Amino acid sequence: MKEGVSLKITLPKIPDIELVAIEGLERLAHHLGIAEEKIGEARILVTEAIINALEHSGESAPSVRVEFTMTTEELAIFVRDYGKGFDPESVEDPDILTKLGTKGKKRGWGLNVMRSMSDDFQIESNKNGTKITIKKLLR
Amino acid sequence: MEQPFSLASEVRDNRLIITTSGYVNNVGGETIAREFNKHFEGGTKHVVINLGQSKVVNSVGMSFLIEIIEKLQDVDGKLVFTDLDPAVEKMLAIMGLFQFAGKEKSVEDALASFSSAG
Repeated sequence: MKEGVSLKITLPKIPDIELVAIEGLERLAHHLGIAEEKIGEARILVTEAIINALEHSGESAPSVRVEFTMTTEELAIFVRDYGKGFDPESVEDPDILTKLGTKGKKRGWGLNVMRSMSDDFQIESNKNGTKITIKKLLR
Repeated sequence: MEQPFSLASEVRDNRLIITTSGYVNNVGGETIAREFNKHFEGGTKHVVINLGQSKVVNSVGMSFLIEIIEKLQDVDGKLVFTDLDPAVEKMLAIMGLFQFAGKEKSVEDALASFSSAG
């Protein structure tokens, strides 16, 4: 079995910067021979975690820290922003039935997608920022 | 690295086929919705979105597709996705989109599904 590999990057808040992290993720995954289907789900998890963090990163510290640790068995994703935080409990689970036919915004799916697609999802948020930790089994 | 978003569209027998390439982010989602609206205002009620060349999408981009579904519901129309990457398909399923939109392996299959539905 190949040893685990990791990548740590700090991403500034510029359009589509999440693609830089995706590029790194794909290189690690290909190095370890991870199946394409698992790489696809990992891509979505990383993308959602980063765009969520960038949205909440605030103007005073507009960057996010991203860390991946990957083995052939598991991917751990850690994404940290330094914004003012939010109360994850106050975020309602989105429902397609509610989104359809109402004039309200159709967005707000990120946390739900991350929770549903991962094998473990943790979020901590306070006035110093938000940390998201995700585990995804790769077998 | 995933290519920037681009889109191509064609109409066959009054059925709109939108084919995307590259990252479907908020701008990509909005571009799809704008292309749809252009044809919807002209009476198109059956729409195929081929996402086969978009391996990276995000939920903000995908949320624009809810607006398309909503408008098609009002006129008894239908949206069908094709060529989905398994992870993108899983994301759309989590969002519940397949309760109101179809999925097929190919554009040809999607067009045939419209014909069989009348």
